[in-house]
Order: sequence, then structure tokens, then C-alpha cells
Amino acid sequence: MSISEGRILTRKAGFSVSEAFGGFRLWWLVLPAFLFFLAFFLVPVISLLAISLNKTVPGVVTLTSNLTLDNFVRIFTRAIYYEAIIRSIVIGVVVAAVALALGYPLAFLIAKTEHPTRNTILMVLVLSAMQLDMVIRMYGLMVLMGDTGLINSALMWLGITSAPLPLMYNTFGVVVGLVQVTLPFMVLSLIGIIRAIHPSLEEAARSLGATRGEAFRKVVLPLSMPGILAGSLLVFALSISSYVVPALMGGWKVVVLPIHIYQQIAEAGRWQFGAAVAAVLFVTSLIAVFVYHRAAVFTSGGRT
Amino acid sequence: MRDEAAVSPLMKAIAILALVVLLLPVAIVVLAGLNAGEYLTFPPQGLSLRWVWAFLSSPTFMGAYLYSFVLALVTTLISTALGTLASIYLSRSRGRAAAALRGFFMLPIVLPGVVLGLALYVFYVSTDIGLARSFPGLLIGHVLVTFPFVVATVTASMVGFDLSLEEAARSLGASPWTAFRKITLRLIAPGISAGSIFAFIISFGQFETTLFLTVPNHEPLPMAMYISLRYKFEPTAAAAGIFAIALVALSTVVSARLVSLRRVFRA
Repeated sequence: MSISEGRILTRKAGFSVSEAFGGFRLWWLVLPAFLFFLAFFLVPVISLLAISLNKTVPGVVTLTSNLTLDNFVRIFTRAIYYEAIIRSIVIGVVVAAVALALGYPLAFLIAKTEHPTRNTILMVLVLSAMQLDMVIRMYGLMVLMGDTGLINSALMWLGITSAPLPLMYNTFGVVVGLVQVTLPFMVLSLIGIIRAIHPSLEEAARSLGATRGEAFRKVVLPLSMPGILAGSLLVFALSISSYVVPALMGGWKVVVLPIHIYQQIAEAGRWQFGAAVAAVLFVTSLIAVFVYHRAAVFTSGGRT
Repeated sequence: MRDEAAVSPLMKAIAILALVVLLLPVAIVVLAGLNAGEYLTFPPQGLSLRWVWAFLSSPTFMGAYLYSFVLALVTTLISTALGTLASIYLSRSRGRAAAALRGFFMLPIVLPGVVLGLALYVFYVSTDIGLARSFPGLLIGHVLVTFPFVVATVTASMVGFDLSLEEAARSLGASPWTAFRKITLRLIAPGISAGSIFAFIISFGQFETTLFLTVPNHEPLPMAMYISLRYKFEPTAAAAGIFAIALVALSTVVSARLVSLRRVFRA
């Protein structure tokens, strides 16, 4: 989209507003941010995609015009790479399912909490947990789940197990870490839609003889589907994108796409190949977010 | 019947479990930082402030904390200035151009942080403009990731803003700039403050985008903690975590008083 196009549309639509600014054209306000994004977002991302189409030459990072799909062919034909894609996707799906199972009841509780103070406290707890540095939260999880961690030392102290359970540095640990990180996003995606379901619908089902469980399963749950879909896709996209959680909780043993990207660039200096893996990750996450966006639009469109 | 009575005991139990998953790791970091021993064990060994003092005098972690603080502060200033100006345009313009721009500005959230950091790194290295592994280069990455949150918060605070208030000031003889400064800016100030708080927190805790952009020997706090966590659990890092947790909790409470969190997060 060009800037001049933006100007024309703004003039047409926002005439009284630019008048309010005394002839000062409104689109000037957005120009600094737009130029910043053009130079440091659009150009870098497009050059990354372009460089992924260059032949891989270790240690060299110059864009050439000889385009080839070699890197992508390699990704989709070598087991070590396509298995990483599959592993990332499977982990993303499992994390989304667990985050939904845990997050839905919490979102439901927050949505049904009318008391303003209690409601604010719950929201602040969820939001603080979401915004806190992931590495700090992983520190806490690792102290809890390590071989000599709190869970294992408590189990052994109580005599329940004799050897430490392998809770960390494996896929299980990565899933737990990702659920911890993505849970607030699931909860926030669900609260709005649960609140929008009119309580009288549930009451009607109850007065017609449905139990609380039946009313929930047959009325509330189906009506929450758009939020469930949106939250799951968001959690999926966040899970497959994470580097720090698999790196710490998986101890480099669970090789997912972001770990491959880092190894290709920082350890092997294979820029073009790393860029290609990044492109695959970006496109996978973009597809999930695109569907998420459609679901979210559907959600807000259905709201009164 | 919209109250807690509508929530079944099973749902409540799982909701409490979810809160434990969210908050227990945080509580453990606090405990590890206040623990008397070298390593947090079960049962705990008692409380002490020795790791807090160790953090305050640690060149690694205190240095990283201050570096992150300054980085987040500069990021916030730039991101809030650019984001507020852009939000005024976005909230007052109808039409496809504004909608497309809004979507464009949200893209850094969609792009995996590692990929964004890599894109910038490749761009810096291949163009050789001296930004690779430098403070300005890292700053650019942080402005990009925080910008969408500033725009989301400030535009949310402008929903329902009555333009006629500004027009009234104008018709009473105020210049456009005076009307903007005395009317509009005052009314949207809570939104701008909340947006800048979010920008600060996101920059302060940012790891993924930082990965490829960090300056050697000048690691921000998340990176410094990550490096130390790869080898051992340093209680000093946990003590640094306590100060970060306090900062985030305080900021979230303040921003909750400034704007409707539901509206910002579309919840």
C-alpha cells in the first residue's frame, strides 16, 4: 500500500477531522511510524524471505539474484528437518489442548465473577503472570521439576519414589513449560465470549430439566466454540514460535524449529538455510494466526 | 444467575489448578531468592536476605537489570511517541488505508520473535550499517515488538472519545495545537500512560527478539538469566527475578487503574 493511497482515503473520510487540526493533514501523524516499520520491519522480513531462496554458502550473507528452492527441498526431504516440523506441530497441538482444558474453567470462573474487586484481582493475577519475563518463570519451573528439584526431592523424602522421575529435559518438560507460558492467552481469549453468552440461555435449559452439567455441555460449551478456536490457534502459534522454553525445559534434546534456526545461524553460520527454516516457521504460524483472526472476527461479529 | 454459584465444584477445582500453574513458578522464584541455603530444597532451609544483597552487588545481574531498565525506558519513550501519533491517525480515520495500516502495525505480534530478531540481524549484517549486535540495533527490535501494544492500548482508550469537545475548544478560539494539548491529550493521557507501561514491561522481559540482537558482554536481564540457567540455578538470579516480579506486578496494578484491561486485551 502506498502512502499517497492513504492520503486520498484519509481526505475522503476524515475531512472534518483534518479541519479540526486546522488544515494539518492527519496522515502526517502516522508517517514516522510507517517509515520506521517500512525500513526496519518490512524490508528486513522480505530480505529474510529472499535470502532463504539463495544457495546456502556457510559464513556468507549477501543477497544474490540466483534464486533456488534448494533449502526448502532439503527441509522437506531430510528427516532431521521435517521431523522437527512435525515435532513442533504435535507439541503445539498438545499444548493447545492442555491449555484449553486448564484455561476454560479459569476463564469461566473469571467471567462469572461479578464482584468487582475479586474480578480485578483475578485479571491482575492472569495479566501479571502473562507479562512476566518467561525466563524467570522457567527458572521457577526448573527448580520445581529438575532431577533434584522440589517435586522429586519431596517424592523421595516421602519415600514414594526411589529414583527421580524424568520431568524435565524431555518433551514432557517442554509441554509443561509452554502450557505455563501460553495459559494466560487462552484465558483472555475465552473470557469475552463466555461473558457474552446470555445467562438466560443456561437458565432456560435448567428450567426445562437439564442438569447443570447438561446445560453446560449442550448450551454454554457450543456457544463458546469461536473463543475456543481462537484461543487454541493463538496458543498453537505461540507454542511453535517459542525458543526459550524448549531450550531450557528441553535442554536442547527436544529439537523444534526455533532451535534449528538458532543452530543453523549461530553455530553453523548457514544463514540461507536458517532463513529458510525461519520462513517455514513464519508461514506455519501465519496460517494459524490467519485462521485465528477469522475466528476472532466471527466472535466479535456474533456479540451483541 | 451470573455468580460463582453457577460454577460447578469440578470447574472451580480445575480453575484453581490453572492459577497454581500460573503462579507457583513465580512463587518459587521468590522463595529461591529469599532462601537461606545455596539451593532450594524440600523441606526449605529458612529465609535470608543474603541473595538479595548478593544481587545488589553482583556486576552480572545488577548490571543486566540496569541495562534492561535503560533499554526498556528508551524503548518506551520512542514506542509511546510513535505509537500515540499513529493512534490519533488510526482512531480518527475510517477507510481501508487506516484498517490496513492497523493490521500492518500488529504484524510484529504475529511474527515469531526469533524470526523477527533474525530478520533484523540478517538485515544489519548484509547491509553493513553498523547496527548488528549494537544498542541501537537491539533498541529497534524492542520498539517493533512493543509498538503494537502501545497502539492497541491508546486506540482502545480513544474509543468513544467525543471529537466535539475538541471542536468546542476550537470554536472558542483555541489554536489546533492548544485544543489538542489541553483537551485531547488530557483525556487520552491514562491510555498513553497504560500503553507506555505495557511497552516497558514487554521490553524489560523480552527474550526471543533479543536472542540474535544482544550486544556481547552487555546482556539484558532475561538473556543474563538464560545464560546462567543453562549451567546452574544461581540464587542471585532468583533474587534478580524478585525485583523483576515486583516491577511487573506493580505496573499491572497501575495500568489496571488507568484503563479497562478487558478493552485492551479484547477479553
